[in-house]
Amino acid sequence: MAKKSNISYSEAMAEIETIIRQLQSENCDIESLAERVARASTLIELCRTKLRKAESDVYKLFEE
Amino acid sequence: MRESFTLYELQRIIGCAVEQFLPRPVWVSAEISELKVNASGHCYMELVEREQNSTSGSAAKAQARAVIWKNRFPHLAAKFESATGRRLAAAMKVLVEVSVTHHPLYGLSLQITDIDPTYTIGEAERQKQITIARLKEEGVWDMNRTVDIPLIVQRVAVVSSATAAGYRDFMQEIASSPYQITTTLFEAAMQGESSEQSITAALQAIALREEEFDAVAIIRGGGSVSDLECFNAYLTAACVAQFPLPVLSGIGHDKDTSVVDMVAAVHLKTPTAVAAWICDRAAAFDGQLEYYAVLMQQCCTKATQTAELRLTQQLELLNRAVKTALTRQQDKLNAYAMIVENFAPSRLLKLGFAVARGESGAVIRKVADCSVGSKITIEVTDGHLVTEVIARDGKEE
Repeated sequence: MAKKSNISYSEAMAEIETIIRQLQSENCDIESLAERVARASTLIELCRTKLRKAESDVYKLFEE
Repeated sequence: MRESFTLYELQRIIGCAVEQFLPRPVWVSAEISELKVNASGHCYMELVEREQNSTSGSAAKAQARAVIWKNRFPHLAAKFESATGRRLAAAMKVLVEVSVTHHPLYGLSLQITDIDPTYTIGEAERQKQITIARLKEEGVWDMNRTVDIPLIVQRVAVVSSATAAGYRDFMQEIASSPYQITTTLFEAAMQGESSEQSITAALQAIALREEEFDAVAIIRGGGSVSDLECFNAYLTAACVAQFPLPVLSGIGHDKDTSVVDMVAAVHLKTPTAVAAWICDRAAAFDGQLEYYAVLMQQCCTKATQTAELRLTQQLELLNRAVKTALTRQQDKLNAYAMIVENFAPSRLLKLGFAVARGESGAVIRKVADCSVGSKITIEVTDGHLVTEVIARDGKEE
């Protein structure tokens, strides 16, 4: 899985959903489990950061 | 030698004839063409009768000298003035009682013993009515009163005598106004014989500079004693009636209304009243502007308030929508995180699951993946266990 440095929120969400589907499928390999989980966690953290930033940006605008 | 009279004898004969035919005083109507009171108090005048239908200045068809002796003059002058509101003066039509005498040295003389003011009043009124009828007939009667008066009269042409008290009052009232009102004086004699020509000449001078003015003020102070003749005269009234600018009259006659007053766009009693009218008009306009300004401000405030209220509502909706969207994303992320966490190998190991690998390092999923005696590495939470397969028990294919 290629790591994009400036991946967008929606791309990240799509990738997380793909990983989850793979994890939930029967032929999920234990070998790649850790890697997938790690990737998903990274993406989730990335999304959370983006979300927090969006939130603070929006409130700043409202205050203005 | 022919039979003859001496001059004195002739004059005596004429004197006797006059006395014989006119033994008592008689009433005579005439126009005064000249009048003067000498130092000793006698009033001398020239009486005249002009051709029918002709105005003053035209040919006389009869003329005579007359006198009011000083013992009668103050009494007759006062009586005339109180009844007519005017002083005895030239150009006036009068009905007088005269005794006719003929003096050998001074000739024929009419000695005025009484005067009937009602004739003069009636004559002036008759002249006034003739003027009114003529103006109406010529269709100019209403003209000045239908001229549009500017909302604010700021440039005023003034027809007045420069030294009159009325002019001073007028200027004082204008000066007391907070508004900038400019006046230009067109000097004219406001009474006496030349006043009619003088006033019309001033009006003509103003008409030539029509663009420079908003209105014309014709003013004269004076009260009841001054005469209105020039303001009842046809020429003056016709000039005012047809004047292109609105005329404001303040002739200051408290008993009577002149024809000029009747045809002027605005008729006021005194010069001060004319000035006050001009100032009040400016104030009214100013007040209206103020009112509109307030109204406009109110409209703006209302519009702004409505817009602000709507904006606040929209902002609230936006705020809520954003919050909902953010929360939804947050919830989704949390749910994903939980799922992903469930699959984390460290968690699986903590739960007691272990990963067994054969000697090749491959993950053992089935009994058949390893043989008895082979070594197996088992991964647990805190490390690896190396074991040996002692037995196998499973559904072998």
